Amino acid sequence: MTAAILSLADVSYRYPDGTQALNNCSLTINRGTRTAVLGANGAGKTTMFLHLNGILHPSAGHLLWEATPLDYSRSGLRTLRSRVGLVFQNPDSQLFSASVREDVSFGPMNLGLTDKIVRERVEEALHAVGMTESADKPVHNLSYGQKKRVCIAGVLAMQPEVVVLDEPMAGLDATMQEEFTAVLERLHGAGMTIVVATHDLDFAYGWADQAIVMRSGGVLACGSPAEVLMQRDVQDELGAVPLVAEISRQLSLIGIDLRDNGYLPRSKSELLKAISSHTRQENTP
Amino acid sequence: MLTELSAYTNRWRRVPPAAKGLFSFCGMVAAFAACSPRSALLVALLLSAATILGAGVPALRYLRIATPALLFLLASGLSLLVSLDFGGSNGGISAHLAGSELSRIAQVSCRSLACLTALLFLALTTPLVDIVSLLRRCRLPDTLLDLMTLCYRTLFVMSEAVHETTTAQSARLGYASFRLSLRSLGGLVANLSVQVWQRSQALQLAALARNNDGALRFLGPEYPDSGRAISGAAISGILLIVLAVTLP
Ligand SMILES: Nc1ncnc2c1ncn2[C@@H]1O[C@H](COP(=O)(O)OP(=O)(O)O)[C@@H](O)[C@H]1O
Ligand SMILES: [Mg+2]
Repeated sequence: MTAAILSLADVSYRYPDGTQALNNCSLTINRGTRTAVLGANGAGKTTMFLHLNGILHPSAGHLLWEATPLDYSRSGLRTLRSRVGLVFQNPDSQLFSASVREDVSFGPMNLGLTDKIVRERVEEALHAVGMTESADKPVHNLSYGQKKRVCIAGVLAMQPEVVVLDEPMAGLDATMQEEFTAVLERLHGAGMTIVVATHDLDFAYGWADQAIVMRSGGVLACGSPAEVLMQRDVQDELGAVPLVAEISRQLSLIGIDLRDNGYLPRSKSELLKAISSHTRQENTP
Repeated sequence: MLTELSAYTNRWRRVPPAAKGLFSFCGMVAAFAACSPRSALLVALLLSAATILGAGVPALRYLRIATPALLFLLASGLSLLVSLDFGGSNGGISAHLAGSELSRIAQVSCRSLACLTALLFLALTTPLVDIVSLLRRCRLPDTLLDLMTLCYRTLFVMSEAVHETTTAQSARLGYASFRLSLRSLGGLVANLSVQVWQRSQALQLAALARNNDGALRFLGPEYPDSGRAISGAAISGILLIVLAVTLP
């Protein structure tokens, strides 16, 4: 469970135009975990993600798959990209075909699988993101949220071990975000390692096992969301705190302890439940 | 996108593209084989009937889609018919009807009309995605088909971008006067060029991330029962050709 699957060791990256996007960035992602990557715009999240999939090569430092340094040869990259699936932020810039099924088949076809297996995987992936019904529609008639799900299906159909999603929640409404969280939960349940870049502190706090906060190309803090997101410097950097955590903290200041065997509520519904069970306890003599 | 709409909603959407492609091809052969304007007209009539009555494309929509091409056809027919004579005996310009050519012109126009209806049949019953995968099976060069796929997809992405940019510009009175319109149009073109550049880069990254190493490969759509549909299309297509050839 706690075996490292992917790690960056002192990785630095400079874009051709001279922008130093990563600066001695070190972090570790464990197998089967959920990681949320936070940080202001321009902190280097996307650049870091492009390294995870071998699209960008570090100018200094190196990446490790399990314990071995990445192999940047042609075949090494093929293996890496079949293990690490990357979903970009903008769906319109990663959907190639106008047909949903065709687009999802793109990745597995590149893996050189037979038509029969590709067909099975496409259907499985569409099912996993709940897009089976819309699979015959042309891509340009889908909603933004549906396009995003097609993008994820396109990566799932390659059956990677790690799925990396760049700001998947951006531009989704509340219901779509909830559906989306459910999709992520299913993937996590199936044993997949998931890395998500997000600006949504409440989501990161409630969902992730590990939070990584980036600042100007480096890692500012890293650890369990409950610890990391309540750190002073992190709050200053992100300009906010997860609401649920803040409410629990404020309540504890006025003597209401919501802890249940040391477990603090992590989502709105857990918070409401904890508050109501607390009041019930108060009222019973 | 009326053509799009029909291609995705017509009654024959689920008929194998190979069958529809074959029928459309036979239609074109029939158009060329037709030995009189009358038989070419009949072929055109039958093909449009197949599209409207068979595939259930609304007649009005059919006309609206065909109108630009029909106008073009009319214009070229007229230009063949009337020839202008510059520098006649008295130095003026004279126009005269090409009377002797009349039957040839009628023949050419009717044939073009039949060809048009054959193409419309395919375009209005089959989504482009299916047409491309059909052409792929016909061993057309991959590069060409990849280009078609990307162009088709980009068409929609770009038309959205144009729409967004022009809306944003009009919201700030960008098209309030002729002078402003010209300025805004320039801005639109500049903005679009940058977007095309960025998008092509993003697409390339996305292709790399999904392990692509050159040709775009997709899984073609699967259609059940293609044998029957294809033989049906072949029989009716051949009948069409025979009709075109035998009719005086
Ligand atoms: N293609 C590029 N060329 C040059 N600089 C870039 C490019 N992409 C990103 N940058 C710069 O790298 C830094 C990190 O960007 P990015 O990784 O996109 O951050 P984030 O995803 O956290 O918003 C920013 O300063 C950004 O301007
Ligand atoms: Mg980013």
